Amino acid sequence: PHAACGLRPAVRAGRRWGVTGRPVGRRVADGAGPCRVAAALAAALGEGAERRRELEQRTARSRALLRCWGSEEDEQSQPEAGSSSGHENRPSPKELEELELLNRALEKALKVRKSILKSPLEAQGATGEKSAGEGPTPKNAEEQQVPVPVEDVPENTKVRAVSKKPASLKKPSPYQLRAPYRTDPDVKKLQRKAPARCVSQGSRTAGKSSSKGVACKQGRSHRTVICASDREVPAPAEPQKIPGLSRSALNEQQSFSVGDSAGGKNSVAAGKRLSDGGRKNCGFLGESSKKEDPTTEGALGRSTSPRTVTLQEKGCQLKLPLPYRKAYSRNSSPAEIEKELKVLQDVPSLLSQYVEAEPADHPTLEREYESLLTLEGLQTTVSQCLHKLQLLRTAMESQMRLRPDCAGDIGSCSPACVPPRGQMCDSAGILAVPLLCYSSFQELRDLFALKLQVSMLHQEIALQKVMMAELLPVLESRLYPEASAAQLYRAIYTQLCEGGKRFPVLVRDELVD
Amino acid sequence: PPPPPPFLLQSLDFWRLLYALLKQIHGGKWTESDAIDNQIRFVKSALWYHGYGRPELYRLPSDGSAGSRELLLAFSWLLHRLSLLEQLLARNRVKTGDETSVCTCEDDLPNSQTGTTERAPEYGLEDRVDVRYLQWLNGRLRFQWRSLHAQHQEQCKLLHKIHLFTSGSHMDQTLGHFSVTETDLVRQPENYKQVKTREEELQKEGFSATARKIEESVELKLLNLTHLCAPKKPQLHGSCRLVYRSKHPASKMGFGRSVSKEPVSAVSATEVIRELQMREASLERELKQLQEECRQRLDEIAEGLDGVICISP
Repeated sequence: PHAACGLRPAVRAGRRWGVTGRPVGRRVADGAGPCRVAAALAAALGEGAERRRELEQRTARSRALLRCWGSEEDEQSQPEAGSSSGHENRPSPKELEELELLNRALEKALKVRKSILKSPLEAQGATGEKSAGEGPTPKNAEEQQVPVPVEDVPENTKVRAVSKKPASLKKPSPYQLRAPYRTDPDVKKLQRKAPARCVSQGSRTAGKSSSKGVACKQGRSHRTVICASDREVPAPAEPQKIPGLSRSALNEQQSFSVGDSAGGKNSVAAGKRLSDGGRKNCGFLGESSKKEDPTTEGALGRSTSPRTVTLQEKGCQLKLPLPYRKAYSRNSSPAEIEKELKVLQDVPSLLSQYVEAEPADHPTLEREYESLLTLEGLQTTVSQCLHKLQLLRTAMESQMRLRPDCAGDIGSCSPACVPPRGQMCDSAGILAVPLLCYSSFQELRDLFALKLQVSMLHQEIALQKVMMAELLPVLESRLYPEASAAQLYRAIYTQLCEGGKRFPVLVRDELVD
Repeated sequence: PPPPPPFLLQSLDFWRLLYALLKQIHGGKWTESDAIDNQIRFVKSALWYHGYGRPELYRLPSDGSAGSRELLLAFSWLLHRLSLLEQLLARNRVKTGDETSVCTCEDDLPNSQTGTTERAPEYGLEDRVDVRYLQWLNGRLRFQWRSLHAQHQEQCKLLHKIHLFTSGSHMDQTLGHFSVTETDLVRQPENYKQVKTREEELQKEGFSATARKIEESVELKLLNLTHLCAPKKPQLHGSCRLVYRSKHPASKMGFGRSVSKEPVSAVSATEVIRELQMREASLERELKQLQEECRQRLDEIAEGLDGVICISP
């Protein structure tokens, strides 16, 4: 029954391209392994086809209205532009041919190269993911000039480890503030290495090099800040994990905790403000958003007129009295929790943007201080968001405890576009369809293009996650025929790292001594 | 055996009623054949989701044999809390405007994106998949998105033309022009019997009086709302009616008075675009992070590949 595809005989004959869906230690269940990717892709294609059909209907109706009214009988729905095979899930023979040609060409590229041939690559600025130094030991000086110098690799790895795997966040970040806060010879060392790394990264992401290069230089430590806060819940509790802050801020951190506060004017005020949000009314939603924007804005605004006192007050506001937190948890329903989560969705990205916008070098003390205050303000926001997340988590847990059997159906319960109570809490608000006013043709087009783009990105991210879960273990477990290792690697690399658009060039590293 | 108590049937029916109503709100497809205990479980979940706190309801038996009083309580709570009737009305009415949604809620439907419970029909239980097949599928998907984009742009063009051509014709000056449906209604009135029926129904039940009352209460509430929501961006869900206005609307929230009877909220495409751009940036960032993570792991894997150097694009 599986003989429909022309590729299959080739697979069996050559045994080169198969992907074993049997990672070590994993139970092979129904649909486990890369079949899940195929199923996900097929489902996505089905949805897309559905969307196209609906859209085609609407377009046809609009077209009919714009034509002469009364001449409808000869009207025929236009064939879908470019729909090659409708629902077919198999490539056509012609497509297979073309694919084979392409693969043969790629195989030719995977040929033996001598070390000398690497210089043209260098000249072009191409950079290697893995330097010669990583594999077999470099044999001559030229090889050592292959981009990504060996000594940068551990740095790179370390940085990446810092930003991606907070579990290994034990070693202190190399970035330290210079005088008057701290002096550290490591700073200079870092800055010397950074350009080298940035160049290689820059050319790696061809076309987007500037942002990435800049980001790598200034973003590293900041990414540490964000990620440390991001992953560690409850809110930042350990000052040594958040480098680059002034001592006053550090002290503040030490005194901060999710637990009970010593009370005081500020926390009461904060409690009051947040407790207004606790009530089930429009104010709740208003409060949550009010916090993220004005906080950030306020932080940035304050950076021009530094008033450390105000920021420290803000920090203290995060200490909520225990009884309030209990009430908050009890009062939130799962629907509200979900809405709150949605509000927080875009916050990390925006915060990262702000953080990365802060330069690592400051020409003047004023600028440095401004930067510091900005970062502190952002950190306050992060703490607040984390705190809210913690509250939401607590609330959710208490809700789950109340009715453990209900939570199972939560997926099907999530309402599709229930009008928010915060804004239209009256019945008329629901009945009256709100207007979306566009002012120009271009605006209308932009609107639709963006909506589509966002939908597509949602899907891409979901698919990416599925693919990562299914394809990476295949490579990591090394349960594939050795002969096809390179091709498999290339295919999976293309899919996972380049969205299927560009592929890396694989070169055999067999050197003639 | 004694005859079944009179409320036995009533409870069952009541459960089924709640199920039917709540399923509509939650966008699901419901079938009569769903077993009663599934229906009851769904109703309980939905009530829990919306925050109904009475434990007695959750303790009701799953065969639907008891609980009419509790169900009555829950039902009245739903009517008030969820504006259940209004939501149902809103969902079931004839859509006369050019509707489009501004939120991306539909993208977050739980099992629609990854099809985790599905199996590729060609493969069944077998776990061998050719990686090139995956690449091919992915290519088709990307092409599909591009086609969809082109189609949308085409539809925008048509829509805008209709809006332009019918400008000035609508009796509701807030709108100013016809929608596609309204234009079609003019062209082929016989196709829209359902609208006429609805209209008759509404007039029959004295809806205009209710409408007036609603108007007044809304005007009162608007005052507070404007104040509360002023700094906040409107988070609209569901459908909005696309309206072309060549001048930029005066106020962002558009709560001002209009000639039409019904005060409606309006939001500008500029704002929505801005929000979408933010959302897009956030998603792109997330995707890049995932790709970056893959790159790292593949780097590590590449170290294990004997004799091959990988040069990234």
